[in-house]
Amino acid sequence: MITSKRIARTVAEATVTLLGVAVLVFVMLRVLPGDQITASLGIEAGMMTEAQLDALRAYYGIDQPLVVQFLGWLTEVASGNLGFSQRTGQSVLEMTASSLPVTLELAILATLLGVLLGVPLGMLSASRPNSRRDGGAQLIGLAALSIPSFLLGALLLTLLARILRYNPNAMGFARPLEDLGLNLQQMMLPAIVLGFALAAPIMRTTRSAILEVKSQDFVRTAIGKGVSPLRVQVRHVLHNSLVPIVTMTGIQFGYLLGGAVVVEQIFSVPGIGRQFLIGMQQKEYAVVQSTVLVIALLFLIVNLLTDLLYRIIDPRVRTG
Amino acid sequence: MTTNEAAWLAVEEAPPERERLWRRLMASRSGRWGVILTAVVLGLGLLAAIGATPYDPISQRPIDRMQGPSAAYLFGTDQFGRDILSRSMAGVATSLQVAIVAVIISAVLGTTFGILSGFFGSRVRGPVNALTNILFAFPPLLLALALASVATRNWFTVAVAIAIVYIPIFVRVTRAPVLSLREADFIKAARVLGFPSQRILFRHLLPNIMPIVIVQVTLSMSWAVLTAAALSYLGLGTPPPTPALGSMVFEAKNLVAIAPWTMVAPGLVLIMFIVGLNLLGDGLRDALDPRNESHS
Amino acid sequence: MRSARLARVGTRFITAATTAVLLAALVVPGASAQGKGDLVVGVTSDPDTLFPWKATQFQAVALLGLVYDSLVEFDQDLNVVPGIAESWDTSGDGMAITFTIRDGVTFHDGKPLTSADVKASLDAILDEETGAVQRTSLASVASVEAPDDSTVVLNLNNPDAGILSGLAGGPNLAILSKDDNEEGLSAAPNGTGPFAFGSRKPNESVTLVANDAYWREGEPKLASVELRVIPDESSIVDGLRSGNVQLAVLNDPLVATTAEGDGISIARTPQLAYHVLQLNHNRPPLDDLNVRLAIQCAVDRQEVLDTAALGEGEVVGPITSPAYLSDPSARPCPERDLEQAQQLLADAGYGDGITIGTIVSQGEYASSVNEAQNLQAQLAEAGINLEIEPMEIGAYVDRWLAADFDTAVALNGGRPDPDVQYGRYFPSTGNLNQIASYNSPELDDLFARGKSSGDADERKQIYADISNHLEDNAVWLWMFSSPNYSATTEGVEGFVPMPNNSLQYLRTTTVQ
Repeated sequence: MITSKRIARTVAEATVTLLGVAVLVFVMLRVLPGDQITASLGIEAGMMTEAQLDALRAYYGIDQPLVVQFLGWLTEVASGNLGFSQRTGQSVLEMTASSLPVTLELAILATLLGVLLGVPLGMLSASRPNSRRDGGAQLIGLAALSIPSFLLGALLLTLLARILRYNPNAMGFARPLEDLGLNLQQMMLPAIVLGFALAAPIMRTTRSAILEVKSQDFVRTAIGKGVSPLRVQVRHVLHNSLVPIVTMTGIQFGYLLGGAVVVEQIFSVPGIGRQFLIGMQQKEYAVVQSTVLVIALLFLIVNLLTDLLYRIIDPRVRTG
Repeated sequence: MTTNEAAWLAVEEAPPERERLWRRLMASRSGRWGVILTAVVLGLGLLAAIGATPYDPISQRPIDRMQGPSAAYLFGTDQFGRDILSRSMAGVATSLQVAIVAVIISAVLGTTFGILSGFFGSRVRGPVNALTNILFAFPPLLLALALASVATRNWFTVAVAIAIVYIPIFVRVTRAPVLSLREADFIKAARVLGFPSQRILFRHLLPNIMPIVIVQVTLSMSWAVLTAAALSYLGLGTPPPTPALGSMVFEAKNLVAIAPWTMVAPGLVLIMFIVGLNLLGDGLRDALDPRNESHS
Repeated sequence: MRSARLARVGTRFITAATTAVLLAALVVPGASAQGKGDLVVGVTSDPDTLFPWKATQFQAVALLGLVYDSLVEFDQDLNVVPGIAESWDTSGDGMAITFTIRDGVTFHDGKPLTSADVKASLDAILDEETGAVQRTSLASVASVEAPDDSTVVLNLNNPDAGILSGLAGGPNLAILSKDDNEEGLSAAPNGTGPFAFGSRKPNESVTLVANDAYWREGEPKLASVELRVIPDESSIVDGLRSGNVQLAVLNDPLVATTAEGDGISIARTPQLAYHVLQLNHNRPPLDDLNVRLAIQCAVDRQEVLDTAALGEGEVVGPITSPAYLSDPSARPCPERDLEQAQQLLADAGYGDGITIGTIVSQGEYASSVNEAQNLQAQLAEAGINLEIEPMEIGAYVDRWLAADFDTAVALNGGRPDPDVQYGRYFPSTGNLNQIASYNSPELDDLFARGKSSGDADERKQIYADISNHLEDNAVWLWMFSSPNYSATTEGVEGFVPMPNNSLQYLRTTTVQ
């Protein structure tokens, strides 16, 4: 039951989590050696006079005591100001509004592909465990899906560019509203690469969950009663094995939000993963902190949705 | 008798002996291939660990640069004249080291938190959830980078970074079935009967979620190897010249157009490793499931 | 009849539309009315600033060098040639330089450039509040005067032979309009260079458009330049292969050497930057000359070059500027001499060997860790145990700035004028002398004379003496310089790569 008390608790939990993330990222950034000055100047920073360094620190907003910086940042975030990036001349909000949809699009496409590939393969492999069909599907499926994503990506890109002279990813990123055709072409390879990587765990979870369910009595009862195998498959087996599959898919999707960085690098996709990475390299504290908060918030939302989903699927699970 | 009662009774029996487990493992196709592939890869790693590689994986012989496979160098040499086979073997040892340490830490910590969080009331669940959620929401790269930068980077700090990243997955994956099982009749019965929580947790709950944990362990092992490789790509992995499978493949990606053999050995070993682990996980899951007795 | 009229109107409309479409299709994508092309340059990241006085990153400097001009510039042989200043005159005592500003230079926003802008820019660079990274190039300047619209006078504290070379320091010494400020320019650059700022998508691309009012006749020859961000160098090569990218500067020798062929040309340009093992003389036993000489004699630099950088480059001495090039064989052990090294160690009382550490940055440039590894292997044979500490660039910079290392594997920037290159390190008054950890009265004297001398031959001799002093005292272990690689596709003509990584000759480049 979704009561207002439940909602209040969820909001409270989320706030605590976000606060914890904020503290953690703030502290970690300050613990890392180097700051924005050394990141942008490198060893040239040694050539600056103390007065110049003071001016630069004020410019980058890192001259204040740490607590002041932290509270100042938090209050700004609460009022919707995620900070400013001197490097790009944009507010972090603008940058995120531009990069987040890109990663979301990629994550959704990749997850769809992963599920479309993984679930049927898993079902196929579970339909006759230990048979030749199972062995064949398993081995081939696993081998193909186990190729590291960056390897697969780099190989595909090189092959297509060299042999077919086809390289949409080198053509300046196109947003869906600007040029849907080019955008989809640019998303194709990265989504395939990521989707393959997702499909392996989804396939295995599907197989394992289905086998788990199939061994239960109620399935054998249904078959014994004469229910058609397909109906058994879908209505009884799949439905009941959904919990772990949904859990796994939710986890994978959440990870993609921050974890698609490598693929974003190879295919020049300007997503939020790259925004974060560049912010890290340049030690732009505001960018990193606010980006992490946004990703964390999204993560919480995804978690909430998966929670809701499997509460719908398995009514036995109580809110506790 | 309901399925749950049957399960409860099954658990109450003695757990399967090692011999029967082994036989069951080898009986399934997945298990057999999983054991074979993993054993081969482990064997290579062990040979490297005791120094029994054809050549020293680290020293360079510039004269023999970029040679294709030959009698002297079974899988060819890389751009520094190092034997690729020896490096692949050493790479297995390094990757195994990182993966095993990482997964042990994350499995133990994660499963504990998952069970506690799923089983106990909100007093325990609250803080555990809060911590897990914080870690879970954290982009893995920041953790990895922070840990790698605070101390000098070596295989251990990389392993710890990966471990922390994967703890939440164990929590999540074990919490869901615990939440379900908590409401199962046989658990409720056990509580009504006054069994102490510890006994319930370890004798009844844990064995039931063990298959899931084992599957997750093997999945995480392969992920750990792949994550270490991705970290190398971003410049954060085990520092060169120590070979690691992932970084070898990453370095070879630049060479693949003119020297494809640089990719073959580490790539094959990597895939074999991952596939082997996955199959082993499947086989173990099948072998450990007491309900499978009626099937095989 | 209405239907007939409709039909005629319809036909005419269709004809017009078809003609328009055909005409549009005929216009070759990317060619403007004058037949100039659009060039796409592949870069691994976008500029980290658009404000020229704070730019140190390669991409930022390269981009801003096309948008802004300075008083003087370098040509492809690294000679100082006129820029905004069409001529200059140094007073007899060397204490004042008078620049004549050329006529007809306008900013991209249309305002004409006068000496007031020059004075305002130089004054601002000298002001510490500004945070200009190359302020020390103007360290000798006492004051700047602008007696009339076309004249600027620099009054110096002391004669400075390297100041003109310092003034040619690209965008870091750019002349800005006195009416512009940093905030405005960070969003919309406004310079006098061959290309004007067009648009920017952060982390994706920056587009420059031709400045038709550029003061060099006939330039630029391109209609636009787009710096497109492709983070992975091998992906840039894929872009070159498919023709979506026409030009790129590559750093990784492995990527560059495998990119050649199949329509891609690679030009290697020797660079001024040098690979070196810096020694910290404040850390015993490195304060002992014999120990340092032992290190020198135990290392075959060519081997380091071969193993770490695939042999791409040249063994060098301290000075890499072509006009003052050091002779790499003018050093105590031009060839590796293991016996000599062991003898020197024994003489110093370390017959049993020594252990020293080295810090290495990871990921900053391709060969760093491999260099360290080869050094370790070579030094081990002489009884010198080198412990390698690889670290992320942020950590490395912190340790380097604090001089917290025994030795450091470094790739340091070079400059056309040796006074600008080493004036920061080795004179006892240099900003980085603490880090260089070495000075001597003899060296101080040489640097002072080199700075104040106006005679080219005399300066050549002075810097040769400096080079010999540095080598004879084994101050640092200079190893090699590596080239940079300019990759172009067919149809790109007129691009001249520079030894200081500048892309300034994009102004003479054409593309089909």
